[in-house]
Amino acid sequence: MAALCKVVSGLRTGTCVFPKRAIDICKSLYSTDSGETSEGKAVEETQKPAADKVKSGFAAAYEQHTDLQQRQNQTGTTVRFGSTRNEKSFASLLRNSPLIQMGPAKDKMVIGKIFHIIKDDLYIDFGAKFHCVCKRPTVDGEKYQRGSRVRLRLEDLELTSRFLGANTDTTLLEADAFLLGLIESKDAKTKE
Amino acid sequence: MAAGVFTKGLCGFRQPRIVAAGYSCSGPLYATATAVKTLPLQTDSTAVTDKIQNLPLEMPDFFRLSELFSLKDLFDARVHLGHKKGCRHRLMEPYLFGSRLDQDIIDLDQTMEHLQSALNFTAHIAYRGGIILFVSRRRQFGHLVESTAGDCGEYAHTRYWQGGLLTNAPIQYGPGVRLPDLIVFLSTLNNVFQQHVGVRDAAKMNIPTVGVVDSNCNPSLVTYPVPGNDDTPAAMELYCRLFKMTINRAKDKRRQMELLQGLSPAGLTPGSS
Repeated sequence: MAALCKVVSGLRTGTCVFPKRAIDICKSLYSTDSGETSEGKAVEETQKPAADKVKSGFAAAYEQHTDLQQRQNQTGTTVRFGSTRNEKSFASLLRNSPLIQMGPAKDKMVIGKIFHIIKDDLYIDFGAKFHCVCKRPTVDGEKYQRGSRVRLRLEDLELTSRFLGANTDTTLLEADAFLLGLIESKDAKTKE
Repeated sequence: MAAGVFTKGLCGFRQPRIVAAGYSCSGPLYATATAVKTLPLQTDSTAVTDKIQNLPLEMPDFFRLSELFSLKDLFDARVHLGHKKGCRHRLMEPYLFGSRLDQDIIDLDQTMEHLQSALNFTAHIAYRGGIILFVSRRRQFGHLVESTAGDCGEYAHTRYWQGGLLTNAPIQYGPGVRLPDLIVFLSTLNNVFQQHVGVRDAAKMNIPTVGVVDSNCNPSLVTYPVPGNDDTPAAMELYCRLFKMTINRAKDKRRQMELLQGLSPAGLTPGSS
C-alpha cells in the first residue's frame, strides 16, 4: 500500500488522469478484494464526493488515501523550512523501521558487518545503537576480515545493569550477540 | 597569533582583516593591527562593517541551513536511539518520544528544531569570526572530531581536560589569552559517565555551548542542546559533517560579503553619524 502511494505521488504531474489509471490497474489486480468488500464499503462510496468514476471497495479506500497524501504534500512540506522532499512523519518512520518491527531483541537473527578487528575480537555493527564484540570462531577464522558480513543471534541491544547504591544503570556501551557464521558471498572477500 | 588585545566575548571579530580593508586611507594611527582599540568615532568603514555584521541577523535562516539535513537523514543515522530506561536522565524526559522495550527513543521532531537553531547559532558565530572549540571525550571518535575541526579551520580538544583550562587560563597559558567564543560538545559526558567539566566551566565563563545530549546526559547547562544519539559512528559522522558544512558555509559567506563591500569604495557609503 505504501509502495503504491509512493508510485502515485511520483507520477502526479498535475493531471488527474494518472491516478485514475493507477486505480484502474489496482482494481484489476485486486478485483477479488473489491468484490468481497464492495458491500461493506458501499456506504463509503455514497458519502464520498462525486468522483469522475464510481469506485468501490479497494479503489475507494485507495482514492481516499491519495487525497490525504495530496493534502499532506501541499501543506505539510511547506511547514518544514522550505524542504521540498516528500517526508514521512517521524512516528511513521519509526513504526516501520526494522528495529521496531523486530520486537524484543532476544534470540533474533540479524546480519552484521565487521568494522574493526583487534586480534581475535571482532567488532560487529548490525544497525542498532551499539555494536557487539565477538570472539573469532575457530572454524574458518581467517575469513573474518573487515567488511565481512556475518550472521548473529542477538541477546541484548545494550548491556546495562543497576548496581547496588547507584542512581542510574551502568552501561557497557555494547550489545550482546552470538556469532553464528559468515554469509558466503564473493563481495565480502573483496571489501576492505 | 597576536591575539592579545582582543576583548573576550561574543562579538570579538578578527579585526586585522577588516582594518586592512577599511583603513587604507588612514594615517599612521592604525599602522599595526595590534595597536587597534575600540574606535571612539563612527566612520564610514565601521558603518560598512556593521552592515556586514548585522545583515544576517535580520533573517531567520540566512545561511539556509535547513537544506543541509532532513528528518530522514537523522533517522538513517540512528540519531533517535537512546540508552536504556535505567540510564535515563530525568531532565531528558521532555526530549524523548517514548520508550520501546526499555530503550528510550528520542523525538526527532524536537531534535530537528534544536539542531536547526544550534547550527544557525554556530554559523553566526563563525560568520563573525568567532573561535569554535570542538570537545569530545569519546576515544572512539577522537580522530573524527579532530579532523572535522581541522577541516573547517577551528579547534578541537579531545584529550584530558585540565581543571583550569577555561577558568584559570590567564595563569596557565599566559596573560591575554583569547578563550573560545563557542564550545561544541559532540558528547557531553566524560569516560566515567559524569558530565564533562567543560560544560560547567563554559557556563562559568559565559561561553555559549552547543551540545549533543543523549538520553543519559544532563542538558540543563548546555545553551543549545541537541537531543540525539552520541554513541553510534553514523550519528557522530553526521554531526561532524553538518558542523563542518555550517562553519565553512558561514565563513565563505563572510568572505563573499567582505569582497562585495570591499569592491565598492569604503568612502562612498554615507556614515550613520
